[in-house]
Amino acid sequence: MSLHHHLTAPLIGNNPVTLQILGICSALAVTTTLSTAITMSVALTVVLCLSNGVISLMRHHIPPSIRLIIQITIVASIVIVIDQFMQAFMFEMSKRLSIFVGLIVTNCLVLGRAEAFAMRNPVLPSVVDGLGNGLGYSLVLLIVGALREFLGTGALMGVPLVTTAADGGWFQPLGLMQLAPSAFFILGLLVWLVRAMRPEQVEQPEFRLRTSEDRRP
Amino acid sequence: MTGWTLDPFRMRQRSGWTPARVTVAQLIALAAPVAVSLVERGTPQIAVLLTAVVTCLIWELAFGLIRGRPLSLHTATVALIFAVLVPASIPVWQIVVAVSLGVVFGELVFGGRGYGIVSGAAAAAGFLVFFFTGTELASSSEIMALATLPGLVLLLAGGLVSWRILVSVTVVLIIAGLIQDGASSLPSVAITAVFGMVFLISDPVAGATTNPGRVVFGLLAGVLIVLFDTAAGPVVAPAAVVFASLLASLFAPLIDHMAVALIVRRRRARHG
Repeated sequence: MSLHHHLTAPLIGNNPVTLQILGICSALAVTTTLSTAITMSVALTVVLCLSNGVISLMRHHIPPSIRLIIQITIVASIVIVIDQFMQAFMFEMSKRLSIFVGLIVTNCLVLGRAEAFAMRNPVLPSVVDGLGNGLGYSLVLLIVGALREFLGTGALMGVPLVTTAADGGWFQPLGLMQLAPSAFFILGLLVWLVRAMRPEQVEQPEFRLRTSEDRRP
Repeated sequence: MTGWTLDPFRMRQRSGWTPARVTVAQLIALAAPVAVSLVERGTPQIAVLLTAVVTCLIWELAFGLIRGRPLSLHTATVALIFAVLVPASIPVWQIVVAVSLGVVFGELVFGGRGYGIVSGAAAAAGFLVFFFTGTELASSSEIMALATLPGLVLLLAGGLVSWRILVSVTVVLIIAGLIQDGASSLPSVAITAVFGMVFLISDPVAGATTNPGRVVFGLLAGVLIVLFDTAAGPVVAPAAVVFASLLASLFAPLIDHMAVALIVRRRRARHG
C-alpha cells in the first residue's frame, strides 16, 4: 500500500462518511453554513493527523488491555489544544461551533482510524492516513454545508448569491435546509450518488420481499 | 413469522388488486375533488395540476427506465391529491421541488407504489410546508367534502380504504370536537378533515394492514390530528392531517408487528 493510496482511497472509494457512515453527528450539527463546515473540517483533519501520528509513535509501548483509554486520552488532549487555540484566535467562530469542536473526541472517525490503522502502522503512513480520512470527511462536510447554506439562505460564506423573496427576488429559501433533517436527506442522496457510481459499495439487503417467482409450486 | 399476513403476492391474489387497478380506482375517486378544486380556484389550479402531474410522471418514467419497472402511472394519484391539498397561489418551481421530493422519497426510492412506508402525497405536502415556511395548505370547502364522498364509497367498496381506520379516526375527532367546541362544531370538523382522512390517512399502503392494527392506527392518527391542529375554532388545519398521516404511518409497521404477535399468541393458546 503506497502513501498515495492512503491519501486518496478515503476520498471517495473508502470515504469515512458515505461508506463507513462515521462522523454523522457532526456532519449534521455544523453544516448549516459553509464557514462552520470548513472550520470543523480543518479542526478534525488536524486532530486526526496529530492523533494518528502520536498513537503510531507510541504503538509499541501501549499495553493492549488499556489501549482504548490511552487512545482517548491522547485524542482528548489534542482536541483540548485545538479548542483552546480556536478560542484564543478565532473566538467568534469558536462560539458558533460551540460544543462541537470539543466533541471531536467522541467522533467515531478519530478513534476508528487510531484503532484500525495507527496502532499497526509506522508514523508517516499513519499521518497520511489521517490526512486522507480528514480530507474525505471534509469533502462530504463541504458539499453538505455548501448545499445547506445556499438552499437555506441563498448565500455562500455569508455572501448573498441570489435575491431572496424577502428582498423582492423569486427565490424562497428552503427553511428545512437550516434544520438537522435536511443534512440526513443530503447525506442520503450523496450515499445514493456514490453507490450508483460505484456499485461495489452497495450492501447486500438483509431482507428480500417475496415475489411470485419464489412461490412456484 | 409475518409471512402469512403480510405477503404482498398472496394479498394481491386474494383481492385481485394490481398497482394499475388501484391507480385507476383512486383516479376515479379523485375525479370529483379535483373537478371541484378546478371550479373553486379557477385557472391557476390548472397550472398546479399540470405541474404536479407532469413532475410525478417524469420521475416515475425515470425510475421505471433505470430500474426496469413497469409503469403503472401510480404517481398521478400523488399529484392529484397534492394538487387538491395546496392553494393555487404556490409558485410553479416550489410545486416541482415539493412534488419531486415527496414522490421520490415517499414512494419511488422504496420501489414504487405499495413498497413505501408513507403516503407520497402527504410527504410532498409536508415537504412544501417545511421547505417554504409560512405556506398554508388549502382548506376544504363544503362542496369539496361532499365531492369526496362518492370516491370514499367506491374505495370502501373496493376495500382500498379501511372502515376501521375511518371509524377510529372519526371517533377521536368527535370526542375532541365535543370537548373543545361542543356539538355545533362537529359539521365543520368533518368538512375540513374528510378529504385528508380518505386520501392521506386511509392510504392503503401507508396505514396498518392488520384489522386490530387498523383500529390502533386510526386512534393514533386521530390523536395526532388533534395534537397538531393549530387552527383556531372548530376547524381542522389541513397541515395537521398531513403531519398526523406522516407520523402515524411511521408507527404502522410497529403496530402491525404487535398485532400479529398478539394474534399468533392467541392462536397458540387456543390450539396448543
